[in-house]
Amino acid sequence: MTNTYRVSADIGGTFTDIVFQDAESGACGAVKVLSTPKNPALAVLEGIHAAIPADAEIDFFVHGTTVGLNALLTRNGAKVALLTNENFRDIYTIQGNDRGEIFSIRWNKPEPLATLEHTYAARGRIAGSGEVVEPLNTDDLDALVEATRKEGYEAIAIAFLFSFVNPEHEKAAAAYLAERLPGIPIGLSHRVSPEWREFERTSTVVMDSYLAPVVQTYLQTLVESLKDRLPAGQGLHVMESNGGVMTVASASETPLQTLLSGPVGGATGGKALAAGIGRPNLICVDMGGTSFDASLIIDGLPSQSNETKLEGLPVQMSVVDIHVIGAGGGSIAWQEAGAMRVGPQSAGSDPGPVCYGRGGAEPTVSDANLVLGRLDSANFGGDITLDVEAARRALAGMGETFGLSAEAMAQGVIDVINAKMADAIRTITVQRGIDPRDFSLVAFGGAGPAQAAALAEELMIGEVIVPVHPGAFSAWGMLQTDVRHDFKETLYSFWDLMEPATLDAAFTGLEDRGRAYLREEGVADEAITFERLIDFRYFGQEYVLSIPVPGGAVDMDAVRKSFDEAYLRQYGHNSPENRVEMANIRVAAVGRLPRPDNAPPAAEPAKPARERKVVFGGEAMSTAILDRNAISAGDEVAGPAIIEESTATTLIPPGWQARLIDGGHLSLTREPAS
Amino acid sequence: MTQATADPVTTEVVRNFVISCAEDMNASLWRSAHSAVIYEGKDSAVALMDADGNMLGQSTGVPLFIGAIDVCVKHVKDYYGDDIAEGDVFIMNDSYLQGTHLHDITAVGPLFHEGELVGFGAARAHWNDIGAMDPGTIMGSTNIYQEGLRLGPTRIIRKGEPLREWYDLLRLNTRLPDASIGDLGAQIAAIRTGQQRLQQLIGKIGPATYRAACQNIFEQARRMDREAIAAIPDGTWSREGYLDNDGVGDEPVKVALTLTVKGEELIVDLNGTSGPVPGSVNCGASQTHSLLRLAYKTMINSDRAITGGSFETMTVIIPDECMFNAGEPAACEWYFTGLGLLADLFISCLSEAMPERSTAAHYGDSMVMGFFSVDPRRGQWISIEPTAGGWGGRSDGDGESALINLVNGGFRNIPGEVMEIKFPLRLEEFSFRTDSGGAGRHRGGCGVVRRYRTLEDCYAAIWFERSRTPAWGLNGGEDGAGPHVEVRHPDGTVEELLKMRARPIAAGTVVETQTGGGGGNGVARERPFEEVVTDVRRGYVSVEGAMKDYGVKVGADLTADVAGSEPRT
Repeated sequence: MTNTYRVSADIGGTFTDIVFQDAESGACGAVKVLSTPKNPALAVLEGIHAAIPADAEIDFFVHGTTVGLNALLTRNGAKVALLTNENFRDIYTIQGNDRGEIFSIRWNKPEPLATLEHTYAARGRIAGSGEVVEPLNTDDLDALVEATRKEGYEAIAIAFLFSFVNPEHEKAAAAYLAERLPGIPIGLSHRVSPEWREFERTSTVVMDSYLAPVVQTYLQTLVESLKDRLPAGQGLHVMESNGGVMTVASASETPLQTLLSGPVGGATGGKALAAGIGRPNLICVDMGGTSFDASLIIDGLPSQSNETKLEGLPVQMSVVDIHVIGAGGGSIAWQEAGAMRVGPQSAGSDPGPVCYGRGGAEPTVSDANLVLGRLDSANFGGDITLDVEAARRALAGMGETFGLSAEAMAQGVIDVINAKMADAIRTITVQRGIDPRDFSLVAFGGAGPAQAAALAEELMIGEVIVPVHPGAFSAWGMLQTDVRHDFKETLYSFWDLMEPATLDAAFTGLEDRGRAYLREEGVADEAITFERLIDFRYFGQEYVLSIPVPGGAVDMDAVRKSFDEAYLRQYGHNSPENRVEMANIRVAAVGRLPRPDNAPPAAEPAKPARERKVVFGGEAMSTAILDRNAISAGDEVAGPAIIEESTATTLIPPGWQARLIDGGHLSLTREPAS
Repeated sequence: MTQATADPVTTEVVRNFVISCAEDMNASLWRSAHSAVIYEGKDSAVALMDADGNMLGQSTGVPLFIGAIDVCVKHVKDYYGDDIAEGDVFIMNDSYLQGTHLHDITAVGPLFHEGELVGFGAARAHWNDIGAMDPGTIMGSTNIYQEGLRLGPTRIIRKGEPLREWYDLLRLNTRLPDASIGDLGAQIAAIRTGQQRLQQLIGKIGPATYRAACQNIFEQARRMDREAIAAIPDGTWSREGYLDNDGVGDEPVKVALTLTVKGEELIVDLNGTSGPVPGSVNCGASQTHSLLRLAYKTMINSDRAITGGSFETMTVIIPDECMFNAGEPAACEWYFTGLGLLADLFISCLSEAMPERSTAAHYGDSMVMGFFSVDPRRGQWISIEPTAGGWGGRSDGDGESALINLVNGGFRNIPGEVMEIKFPLRLEEFSFRTDSGGAGRHRGGCGVVRRYRTLEDCYAAIWFERSRTPAWGLNGGEDGAGPHVEVRHPDGTVEELLKMRARPIAAGTVVETQTGGGGGNGVARERPFEEVVTDVRRGYVSVEGAMKDYGVKVGADLTADVAGSEPRT
């Protein structure tokens, strides 16, 4: 009998992580292969080949892709023409008119994806009520038709004022253009984002038009490349920015949803971990070579936003909140005016830290860890042998200017970078009124587990979780999610003037659309659920809170009360006597995917324990070096100790101890475990 | 007592701490504020100071508040001396002491660790109403007594106990007592946040090491500033300009500035500037200092965090009789209008000394457009916004178009869709104002055209500036266009004006506002053909403007007719 597998791939710039799960037993394994940027599927195939027997079946494959994001970062999207209202041609270039850096007089707005010479305007105006103030003048579209042939536009984005109230003009313009320009994809703002705020909606539809062809081509190539293992793309899925997954067919229709598909795996992994180990509040930190990504799981769910900015351009779509700062193993130490600084500049992987011996000359966080004995020069993974002496020389050289030894300088680099990472966590917790002490810290990525205990101390967090396969946790997280589609509609009203029947009909309309989508993707009706949300605020405010609303008939008073309560939780006070307005309604349509329970990884032979000197708080202490495979349930590992595995190194400082918990994850705690 | 020291690592950790502590304090203020002007308009600032009142870390939503909070601590210390205890909170808003208008209330609290005074925290926030002659922002004041309740340093909490009579006095002197007291609570919460974090840090490293680290931070910031000023060639530069008027009269108001760089010192002298004026564009000296710090920051060590020790290289001379050194009874509500001009003068002077950072003048003021009324469906509604305009051309590029003015920062325009759904207003146009940017090798940014139509009877108020001294060019660049506002009434009459005190306008009135452009930088005849053509294709410059201002003939196919153009120099 052949086994069946579920497989995920986290495709990064340098490495592709593959996690494979036996669909029967639930046991997971991970492999890491070099990425193949020209055709990412080649690395995926290589990983699958290495991990899964040729005769085994793959019934579910999910991957996070950065193809869309990279096309945006390198400005390699489609050539887009934008069509707007007359007298509003400039709104996409004017943007919000706020200054991105408030102390700078040299700041420039982000370059729009369709510049003004590629923006066309037509007469016609719809009022806020939906009434047609001026009919659409289709004669004005002929200039765009002609220009498309001449300029070679690959896509057209249409954004008219109030199309989310009345889409008549957008539809009519699209029909007129489609007839004359067959084969040119046309994006309509009311379809991509039926939400008010003309600049943000325009930006969203242009982003969609800009990236759609790139993402679609990529998906076709992927289906083709994987056809031997996944015939006709069967079972092939893509992560969405909102933390859900969708089929390749859906992704081709809504390519924008794949935009932040890469990094959300960590948050979905955090959600699964929260349920699996019974800890509803988690701070998830992913530290690699150059960046530190932090996200939150609150009451078991990833913290989300309804809008994000990419390259400074807003996108109205549901995304998992991920806070990124420039801090990683490659962060460089430097000095100015007699002061010591670390990061945000990074040595990256090329030349990399001094200890890589590839020409890096400035000391980095990894060099500091090596000099302190926290990394093993011979056991770093891959073919690299780390050069301790070169790292020590670089740190000693810089330490000299401060009167510090190489070791003291190394400890200083670590202390400074830890303070910065702790501040990044404060930004998403303390500054939003959330107390980090109510959370466990989940550390993953290549560099995360080495810093986690110190970070936890800084934030007075009592427990650190280092999950199974910490270097491939994002890929693991992708296997833990469901199909999800988000729908929204701007429905502005004072809450006291809203008719419950109107509201219910609007919600039901969005749910019907969600059900149709999910059925199309093969999700059975009994696996479909909906989450309803309403964006509320007190009259006079601008920004909203999204409040969950139970299904069925709407209890207006109860919903109002839950807004006041949510406001109190968020801001520390509320105004139940004030009028409330609603701005948008939202529906998340979720299709539950069948999946096995996670099982701890199969036992593998462990390397023998060793011992070496590691510096903690300025003192070289004799420290046990253990292989993670050697730790069994019930074992207590007391700090100082280091736990090594192929993708990461976990540091257990003095005063901390580690033990295995459900699922084979490591838990580090400060208090003596009973 | 032996002198404690702090090693470079501790110093860097403390430096990160003071910045992040200030950010936490500000987040705490924004989260718990009751008024949108604070938590959305971000019209607020917080600061953490040492026990002597020296600025350590600050966080601000409005760049203009960059450096006038520490002075409030000094006023509190001067007034109360040793009578400052743990748990006390003091407030003040006196324009002549703290610099801004009376709407800005600053709360100050001493921070203690185990009974020892280790610092001060302060939080400033804009209160929507402080009991002035009109609700909200007032436009016709001619003395400070019309602008609301004025407070010198005033204890309102003693050892953790609110002083009821002071709270009641505040309540009785504002049209919005609940919101105002709620916002005060948010300011106090910000100070408490600072107290908690500072206690945590000092508990770990000890007060002596903390003090030593602070001294290192001051010294490092001083050194960075000294090195930056020393790198500027010595010299003296002067500039002057005029405000259109003081808001009530029709006389221009002169603003003059002389800037001297001598070694490691930068001296700013405001002699030559107008004395106090009857209208409300006077400004207290503290806020004048604050503006000059902001202007300094735009040119010097711009990418570095502001900590204690910054700005010590700058000496400011303000004459006693000066609109920027307001004293009784000068009105100060629109104190920032003159500051926008002052900043441009400062930046132009330094641009001569620092050609690599040369930046021409920007459109210069907040250009406020307000509509409001009361109706049965909405209750009381108000749509008020500053308007974006053009920024000055730079040594290395064009000025940005449609960007908010310097003293503001994070203000965003109200989307037309939000405006029309929430208010009886229709936005009929929002576009770049063609040909408004000053011509130059590096063109000034364009202002905007924003045209509103009222759908119901309501009130409107307007404050536009800088028509007498529009954004000037540098290095041979041309001036940007000044502002232009038209009110077209339904009966066909048209008014051209720039300032209008609140008055009723009828449904169907069209108000078209046009903001100014930025000054150009360098000679227009040096701007390459292709850049002028792109400007025309993008609508920044018209075909006529290309010929007139740049000597570039652009054909009907929107390409340059080189033969019909003046040669590039």
